[in-house]
Amino acid sequence: MSSVLYYFLAFTGINILMCWSIYLPYRVGQLHYLTVACMLASAYFSGFAAREWSWPFALILAAGILIGVLISLLPSFAIGDAPCFTVVIVGLTIIFIFKTAVENSAALGGTIGFFGIPEVQHLLPLTYLLLAAAGAFIYRIDHSRLGRAASVVFVDKNTAAALGVDVKQLGMFFQIAAGGIAGLAGTLYAFLIGSLFPEFFNLGVIGTLMCMLFTGGHSTMWGVVVSVPILEGMQLLLPSAIASWRQVIYALTLIVIILLLPGGLITKRTLVRFKGRSRA
Amino acid sequence: MMRKHAKSLVSVLAMAVLLVCLCASSLGAPQSTVVVDQWEIPFLNCLTGPIASIGAYMSWSAHKAADEINQKGGVKGKPIKIVDLDTGLSPEKAVEQMAKIVNKSLVALGPVPEACIMAAMPLAVKNGLFSMAASTTYEYAVQFFPYTVAWHTGSDKTLPPIVAAWAEKQSGVKQVVQFVEKSGCWPVMADAHTVGLSSVGVKTINVEVPTDAVTFGPLVVRALAQKPDGFVLTCMSEKAAKIIMELEKYGWKDKAKILIFSSADDVSLYTTGGEKLNGCHIYGYLDAEMETERWKAFKEAYKKDHGGMDPVSLSTIYYDCVYMIKDALQNTDVTGDPKKLKEERAAIREHIRNIQDFEGVQMSWSMKDGVPSDKGVFLFVIENGKKNYVTYVDAWK
Amino acid sequence: MEIFVAQLLNGLSLGSMYVLLVLGFNLMLLVAKIIQFAYPHLVVLSMYVCWAVLRYTDNMLLVVLASVASCIVINIAIEPIFRLLAKRHGLDINVSFVVSMSMALLITDVMSHLLNYGYPIAFPSDWVGKSIFSSGLIAFSAGQAYALFGGIAAVVAFFYLLYRTRQGRVLRAISENSLLSSIIGIPIVKTRVLSYGVAGLLGGLTAVMLARLLGSASPGLGDFVGMKVVAASILAGLGNLKGGLVCGLLLGVAESMAIGYLAGSWSNAIAFMMMLIIMLIKPEGLFGIRA
Repeated sequence: MSSVLYYFLAFTGINILMCWSIYLPYRVGQLHYLTVACMLASAYFSGFAAREWSWPFALILAAGILIGVLISLLPSFAIGDAPCFTVVIVGLTIIFIFKTAVENSAALGGTIGFFGIPEVQHLLPLTYLLLAAAGAFIYRIDHSRLGRAASVVFVDKNTAAALGVDVKQLGMFFQIAAGGIAGLAGTLYAFLIGSLFPEFFNLGVIGTLMCMLFTGGHSTMWGVVVSVPILEGMQLLLPSAIASWRQVIYALTLIVIILLLPGGLITKRTLVRFKGRSRA
Repeated sequence: MMRKHAKSLVSVLAMAVLLVCLCASSLGAPQSTVVVDQWEIPFLNCLTGPIASIGAYMSWSAHKAADEINQKGGVKGKPIKIVDLDTGLSPEKAVEQMAKIVNKSLVALGPVPEACIMAAMPLAVKNGLFSMAASTTYEYAVQFFPYTVAWHTGSDKTLPPIVAAWAEKQSGVKQVVQFVEKSGCWPVMADAHTVGLSSVGVKTINVEVPTDAVTFGPLVVRALAQKPDGFVLTCMSEKAAKIIMELEKYGWKDKAKILIFSSADDVSLYTTGGEKLNGCHIYGYLDAEMETERWKAFKEAYKKDHGGMDPVSLSTIYYDCVYMIKDALQNTDVTGDPKKLKEERAAIREHIRNIQDFEGVQMSWSMKDGVPSDKGVFLFVIENGKKNYVTYVDAWK
Repeated sequence: MEIFVAQLLNGLSLGSMYVLLVLGFNLMLLVAKIIQFAYPHLVVLSMYVCWAVLRYTDNMLLVVLASVASCIVINIAIEPIFRLLAKRHGLDINVSFVVSMSMALLITDVMSHLLNYGYPIAFPSDWVGKSIFSSGLIAFSAGQAYALFGGIAAVVAFFYLLYRTRQGRVLRAISENSLLSSIIGIPIVKTRVLSYGVAGLLGGLTAVMLARLLGSASPGLGDFVGMKVVAASILAGLGNLKGGLVCGLLLGVAESMAIGYLAGSWSNAIAFMMMLIIMLIKPEGLFGIRA
């Protein structure tokens, strides 16, 4: 397999995981950017555990997920049912605090960065195996009572509460699950790139994830499965003459998609139509 | 009959002389047939995002060198083509761009900047591609040796003497405040400044510059409260300029006692600071007022395409890199044959890592195992946007 | 004490700028029901307009007019996008946030590509001005005075417009209940456009004052300020104008104190940590959500 295809597939897999980690809390109307902080913490921990303690990959993977879960768990007690923008600012603030902590930590390479994370064999198939597992988990949630409750919360919290939904607990569950998925993505990211730098985790990452989520469609988990490969591929295929306008093209794409296709490329209605055709 | 023999003899002799000449001329250069139509050199550069302006002039200088080389017939008769690959300040994109070239390119320029170097260089190392991340410091480059090159020696060796030289020129400086921004290897450079200052008996107090500060008044008040005799600015160019403006507002008059570090020698420093920088010192690796013909031509072309602005330290790096690659292509047995990719990459790499007496646009230097062995640092004083030469310190001597 | 007073002055002049930005931001949130994350970016764009005009004339009135006009025109020009968005998505402020984030990205990238070769711009040194008062570490520049007193004047004028004029009543009525407002005959679209115009006016004035306070601008300035404006607005309670006034000022002072007294790169982290604690305890903000 060519290097271009390898990295395209690997980043596509990791970005789908990260988009899902934003998608899940957005099911209850929360933009939970804290998942980027989970990714950062898990990536650095994984790199450190692999290089300094020589932990086996499986153990690091489990620890990475656990770190993501723990980081999401604590704030979720306070922001489980918080308004969307409080969740946004809490997320951005924790990313900033984590970045500052890394920049001030000599053990994690400080501002210079963290080098020399050992390679893992068969990382790409592993990534897709874990992606499938995470996908199955989200699919189950989406098609359970939790998923239906989340759909009601998204439309109207008060109605959901009247129907007996514990809005806070539901929000906490989605935030914690998202943290775990982001932790997984962080571990895979660290092993894929092989070195870490605090600036890897900035506002640009959030912008890219939002673009992917809203272009693909935020109402189903399948939206990002379509949009991530398209947007990843687009940045590889753009001719160099217009490559320098990539950010502008992304921003315009997102605005146009949101205006013309409000639900994104794949909506629940698209899926229903698709299922109908398959049955026919 | 005799005449006929004589004619034959002359012809044979002439042919023999011709043959000897041809053989002799080919002794100096490797004999090989170039199989490519052009020498493609990918440049992983940051052409989008907040530092796109820096990427733009780095790209300009690489293209300028390629144009000059091509106008003189190229290398081994083939033109050089710089292929810009935008990393957009995104590590992910840097890796993907590196993946595009890592199995086919002979040599590459970049990546730029550090976040992209960190992300993409491991892939270059893994695949044996020599990529000249020349705009970064030794501390980053050394992590990826021998697959990249350092443009300067380590901060701990290069910087203390120049900072000490500045301090010695200032009378009555016993204590300085150093503004340090925690970004990349700037804290390492700040430590090297401290070493240099302490070597001449000057105490350093560090004040950290927040990365997202909007105003710098509070920082300057904090610094002035330490009652310093001078300042060292180890932070982003725009912030350095703003701090100097604030210092002036708070009544600091002796600009000579302000030293700006090399990484802030960027256009943003001068566009932001303007006349407020007059009298400040700055150290760097480029003397913009040099009087050589080659430099003057470069400078004029640069100013023409950059709204009359003078070139800064980073402007020339990739110009010299392209000439270094030209030198390597010219003087090694490189053909561009994909079947010989591994050997030809190694040949270029080793040639550049140990290049001797390379004629850069400003100075001549040699490399030893990828590190310059005789490159020094200039100290300047800024006057109306111009950097006037004060001294040159070569840490190797 | 001297250091404290010096930092307080710095904080107040910076805070007054945050206040103006938070007011414009909150006005659009209340009336147009959008999160205009790109608002500070538009203000920075207007600073570039100031800079461009200053290259041809040093007439202060012309510069202010150009800045205000540009900010109003651009702000009103993007109104149809948000109107279409509201048509498609309903009044979903989350989606407006995503769209405005894209706009912010777009504005920043255009500035870094096309304006002054992407380099920061500097305003003439007499714009920032020398210290009009100086005693030890306490110094107060003309730029700071413009920012602080200009800011106060703009805020007073804004609240006068909102609470003492007919147009202000209309704006407030829509912010309270747009359905009822439309029933009693208030033109919703026209009034929303008006809110964009008023926010543009505030933005244009802020641009001039920021130019005098900072003396320079760069494409990345919008991002630095944008985050803080959104944070101050949320800390106050989204859409809470009076809360925004207090929190904007507090944020400026807290930022100055943090930089002045706390350890460097940790200073902002600690400031953010305090903000985080407040938000975790009171997710609806200190003064309550009004949007």
